[in-house]
Amino acid sequence: MLEVSLALARGSFSLRVDTVFARGTAAVFGPSGAGKSTLLHAIAGLARPARGRVVLDGTVLLDTREGISVPAHERRLGVVFQDGRLFPHLTVEGNLRFSERYVRPPERRFKAGDVADLLALGPLMSRSVRAISGGEAQRVALGRALLSSPRLLVLDEPLSSLDQGLKAQLLPFLRRVQAAAGIPMLYVSHDLGEVLQLADEVLVLEAGSVVAQGPFLDLVTVPRALALFRGHGLMNVFRARVQAHRETDGITLLLPLQPHGEHNRHAGAALAARISEARRVGEDVCLSLRPEDVALSLGPVEGTSIQNQLSGIVQKVIEGPDRTLVVVDAGTPLMCDVTRHSVRDLDLRPGRAVWCLIKAQALTYLEECGAQREAAPET
Amino acid sequence: MTVSSFLLTAGEWTALWLSVKVGLASVALSLLPGIAIAWLLARRRFPGKTALDALVHLPLVLPPVVTGYLLLLALGRNGVVGGFLHDHFGLDIAFTWRAAVLASAAMGFPLLVRSVRLAVEMVDRRLEEAAQTLGASPLQMFFRVVLPLAAPGLLTGIVLAFARSLGEFGATITFAGDIPGQSRTLPVAIYGYLQLPSGDAPAQRLVIISLVLSLGALAASEALARMARRRAGRGTHA
Repeated sequence: MLEVSLALARGSFSLRVDTVFARGTAAVFGPSGAGKSTLLHAIAGLARPARGRVVLDGTVLLDTREGISVPAHERRLGVVFQDGRLFPHLTVEGNLRFSERYVRPPERRFKAGDVADLLALGPLMSRSVRAISGGEAQRVALGRALLSSPRLLVLDEPLSSLDQGLKAQLLPFLRRVQAAAGIPMLYVSHDLGEVLQLADEVLVLEAGSVVAQGPFLDLVTVPRALALFRGHGLMNVFRARVQAHRETDGITLLLPLQPHGEHNRHAGAALAARISEARRVGEDVCLSLRPEDVALSLGPVEGTSIQNQLSGIVQKVIEGPDRTLVVVDAGTPLMCDVTRHSVRDLDLRPGRAVWCLIKAQALTYLEECGAQREAAPET
Repeated sequence: MTVSSFLLTAGEWTALWLSVKVGLASVALSLLPGIAIAWLLARRRFPGKTALDALVHLPLVLPPVVTGYLLLLALGRNGVVGGFLHDHFGLDIAFTWRAAVLASAAMGFPLLVRSVRLAVEMVDRRLEEAAQTLGASPLQMFFRVVLPLAAPGLLTGIVLAFARSLGEFGATITFAGDIPGQSRTLPVAIYGYLQLPSGDAPAQRLVIISLVLSLGALAASEALARMARRRAGRGTHA
């Protein structure tokens, strides 16, 4: 558990955060300039807040009132920076082993060889860090942070310097670390897709203050948070398992999974998606679906080109200034954008049975989920 | 000038060897304080920083004779520090080899500090932050990240200070005099020979030796710096 209570001013910008992160993975989401990196620097001991208290699992890292400020090098927080920050005078292995002498043997949680295997760094070990790609560099940075046996892994937009393809390659590694390491993570990002794939809990930060905090689907009920999410491409993200490919019409059938991997109660309700890249049958993938690509009806529709019709129950109706967001439990929670007119016409309110209509083209792979999250040790 | 006259006399060898020893000793003496002050100037803010910066650079702009005279005032037997050392430890500095080393060190110090300071300023501070989050204390971080990355500048500084010492004349003759084996370095010896009616030939031999030595030092520094740059690498992944 991480308790953070901070007040920090820099010029005209001021940051004010008072929160508690439970174990697991929490994300700090916010637009550029919201103070995400500043918050992270203060937690890591790289910035000095005017007032504040930071407690990690009972250990006080900072308490300005008591005059306690554990120096950064004694906090044992692994930080993966946006820009990698590998030591250019060392090899990949030298970077990975940098912290070796600072971690006492009983506190060592990983072996360099295991981390290299986990992140597929084996063939790079003797290379100069100047001779590796950006994606490889971020993997080295991640491995280097892990090998310092941190009590908390802090990731500061670790993917934002990478292009879309490299991001997709790195996300599975992050999930693998999440599953294998059992280290709580604080993931800072302004990319909603990354946040939704990795985090159990989201803290929304804007202009230095906390807008909301909690599980994502609770946050969409907070108008300001929802507006920020919309500004960053609000989307449904859910996991599904590839069931079959219908080569004749280019359709892939996918079974939605519950957040923790088991099949949902609507067994057999496979989704049809028009997805070009071939994925192995049985593979788990992350799908994204924009709320405006979901239509609602009160019953199944016949004689339509729409391939997917999922029955569900309305859970929340969130009125916005121009659009209304309806959250439907269709085995997996789905956000659907509808007009106010439709809300009135269909009498949409919590508890109402509806059908979600989704075109096959609207479903896209977000990024490969890769690693099996259900293998995560219970924390 | 015959070939045989290139063979140096005993006195000339002494001067050459003394120059090298004084140069090495003055660099060795300057190294730790030079690195420390360079780091302070590059990385820290503290009251009196400007004054320290000016003090370090003073020998660069003062006439060397003045630097030598100031050293004499402080460290001569009648000076505050010099008197204390003489009375309590029987240690004399002025007009000994120690004075030659100190005079050289004072003259080369600004060159060393400037060079190291620039190199430290070039080291990406974000790498220092990364080292700290990995558990390195500020001192460990300095020796494992900053110094290796600043190595080319450090080497350049060392060679510049050494070369400056080889050429040191004004402060040395004022503070250390012209004592064979103690303070008669190459430049002092050359000047001495030039005062004698028959001194042209030995002076010219020493001039050639000086040229060879200085050019050698510069060439060595270039080679070392290039090697260090290759090792330290440039830039990080963005």
